[in-house]
Amino acid sequence: MSLEFLEAFKFLKKDTFLHNLDPRSKLLFSIIISISALLFDEIVPLFLILLNLIPIIASGRLIKKWLKSVRGLTFLFIIIIILNTFFYDFSHAISMILRITIMVSAFSIFFLTVDPNDLALSLISMRVPYEYAFSFSLAFRFVPTIAREAQNIQDAQQSRGYEMQTSGIINQIKNLFPLLVPLIICSIKRAFNVAEALESRAFGSQKERTFLYTIKFSIKDWIFTIYLLLFLMLAIYVSFNFSLMPEWLMWSLPV
Amino acid sequence: MVIEIIDILPKVSATNVEYTYSNSTLALKDVNLSIMKGELVAIMGKNGAGKTTLIRTFNGLIKPSKGNVLIDGKNTSSQTIAELSKKVGIIFQNPMHQLFSNTIEEEIKFSLKNLDLSEEEIQTRTDNILKNFNLEKYRKRSPLSLSGGETKKLAIATIFCRNPDILVFDEPTLGQDAREIVFFTNLIKEEMDKGKTIVIVTHNIEFAMQHVPRTILMADGGIIADGPTRSVLNKEFLADKTSLILPQITQFNRALQEIGIQCPPNINSRNEMIMFLKKHLKSMGIKTKEEA
Amino acid sequence: MDLIKFNNFSYRYKGNEEYALNDINLAIKENKFILLAGETGSGKTSLLRCLNGLIPQFYAGYYKGSVKIAGHDTVETSISNLSTIVGIVFQNPENQLIAMTVENEIAFGMENLGISRNEMIKRMDESVRLTEIGHLLRKAPFELSGGEQQRVAIASILVLQPQILILDEPTALLDPRMARKILTLLKKIQSDSKITIIISEHRMDLVLPLVDEIIMMKEGRIVGHDIKDNIINGDDFKNLNINHPLIYSIFNALKEEKLLSNKIPDSIPEAIEYLNKIK
Repeated sequence: MSLEFLEAFKFLKKDTFLHNLDPRSKLLFSIIISISALLFDEIVPLFLILLNLIPIIASGRLIKKWLKSVRGLTFLFIIIIILNTFFYDFSHAISMILRITIMVSAFSIFFLTVDPNDLALSLISMRVPYEYAFSFSLAFRFVPTIAREAQNIQDAQQSRGYEMQTSGIINQIKNLFPLLVPLIICSIKRAFNVAEALESRAFGSQKERTFLYTIKFSIKDWIFTIYLLLFLMLAIYVSFNFSLMPEWLMWSLPV
Repeated sequence: MVIEIIDILPKVSATNVEYTYSNSTLALKDVNLSIMKGELVAIMGKNGAGKTTLIRTFNGLIKPSKGNVLIDGKNTSSQTIAELSKKVGIIFQNPMHQLFSNTIEEEIKFSLKNLDLSEEEIQTRTDNILKNFNLEKYRKRSPLSLSGGETKKLAIATIFCRNPDILVFDEPTLGQDAREIVFFTNLIKEEMDKGKTIVIVTHNIEFAMQHVPRTILMADGGIIADGPTRSVLNKEFLADKTSLILPQITQFNRALQEIGIQCPPNINSRNEMIMFLKKHLKSMGIKTKEEA
Repeated sequence: MDLIKFNNFSYRYKGNEEYALNDINLAIKENKFILLAGETGSGKTSLLRCLNGLIPQFYAGYYKGSVKIAGHDTVETSISNLSTIVGIVFQNPENQLIAMTVENEIAFGMENLGISRNEMIKRMDESVRLTEIGHLLRKAPFELSGGEQQRVAIASILVLQPQILILDEPTALLDPRMARKILTLLKKIQSDSKITIIISEHRMDLVLPLVDEIIMMKEGRIVGHDIKDNIINGDDFKNLNINHPLIYSIFNALKEEKLLSNKIPDSIPEAIEYLNKIK
């Protein structure tokens, strides 16, 4: 289940409207959608926000992936429903579920459609120093490598009799050492090798850095940004004047 | 005379084995093989041909999606990795993937943990393996303080101390100099003498030609050749499919034939070639050291 | 002026009592393809890292003597400046490919040096052509095979237009055919662009025919540096703990029986040439 959930955050290159947007507009998107979700407790507005996401997800041809990630959250949802029924009310549970779905989806869209390369570039355009932006994208680049290494370590240890299943909390923690220690050591060694390679290619030279590719805000990005700002303004307006809103907006479950 | 049934059954057998990874890549298809007790076999092929996937089916790290793998006649799907790793010891390529203890002694003892041995037996085995591998002087040192070659020895030691019947090596000669390769060659000779069954996944054509009697070639997840090393590695079209090159001795042999020097095709070792060329040169009237 | 000059250079890593490099005196000229041979632990890796300043700038330790690359002292010149003269390709391509696409990977070093975009594109075209990776430009490094990864690594160094290219066991993780392809590529690059290539390699039979000179190392010292023929016909090469090529091994045995009237051949073609001549 957890691996499925992680798939919802892994970038894959595609040529769609959504993928071609500048990463900065997508970051703005994630933030604005999350803020608007936090503005409301009621089911209907939250549901409308969620509905609003769907055409955007569709434009990136990500509906299937999105549904998978939501499915990965069902366990969490069940816990929320149980806790809420005891301490609060069912209606509130649904609101919570909607809110979580919206926020997770918003950021999932971001990670699914932003090339880690471009992410570093967008950070730089926001005046983040190159070294920091670069470490960020470097981390991204090595995630699959480290995941593969973790698997190899697990295989090697199991081959010499290491058993994954044990009982007791203390034992389970102790049982992680044979996996974590080699992983950390190998990662440190790797870091050294990478640093060597970077130094050998003039990383950190005092010269003014140039870029082969840059990101640029296009018309589509401006339109999208204006749309997002309008959306935010509407959300704020509705939320602050909620009592003046039509009845159906305030509908909640009888429970 | 009692013949143990267990000695007639293959130690390792695979029947119609197929395996697909969770991301839908087909790693093994229609794999059939049978390795008898006491054999020394090399598995060769392009990177990605399925060699490492195949050996992982031997100790249960991977359970086939179709077909079955039998170790000592018993199906691996009904056994846990812990159980299988007592019979099949795989020594992987990177020793750094397993070292984590405070001392080398503890590292060995960790490997002996799930064997249900007495304290005494554990200590004896640890002492013996450290002595046999010439690692006694490092007993109380951290595994990380060893040089590259010695960590490789330690990795082998951690599997050997468990005394599995079947040993599988993944690229054991990678990055090793001549002396280290000699150490390894002697090691497997000793284990063969003890009746172990050994499988070596390797790219080292010269090593296989010189020391390994049987070679299995893999390509695209399947086995495309299985037989005596000297005939399997000498075929050009097989080398093409597996990204291998012909062994030096074979290339030399053929080149000699091309210039009209009739080198018998069964000359497959350095010493045989030296003897042949000595005869040839003498027949040309060139005198040896003694005769001159 | 020698392209590379070691003057009584010794180096000890911090925390080690023994010297990794002992009194190294070495002079290397331009336009040479050089093999660095020696057993594991003989100091090859350390020697190579002296050539672009990683030793002693990146690795903490103690040094004596000096190393000059094209006249630049490796202590006083920054590694980033030396990177325009010396390029290193490491053994494991995984750890030297840091970008998300091949294109960005090749551009990386040039971007760091502030090279203009137009110049970058020009240099990229050239090195991509040489290494034949044009069809891989938009791919991610982890999607490539080992051989492709090494070619990308080589291309991304070539764009810095170094005078010296260093390779530390570049074919270790590759299958034999791929290894041969990479070594042949390196020979072509060396003879076309007349740079000096220094390679540390275990696959003697593949690399011996290609090199001009051999440097032998043992226990942190240089025990021989000469043109290939002189080295392989000498005693030190015979006794060096390396994986001698089969042809060498055979003809050395013949030489010891005084059956060889010529120098020891470095490859099968040379051996055949000799045998053909004496027929």
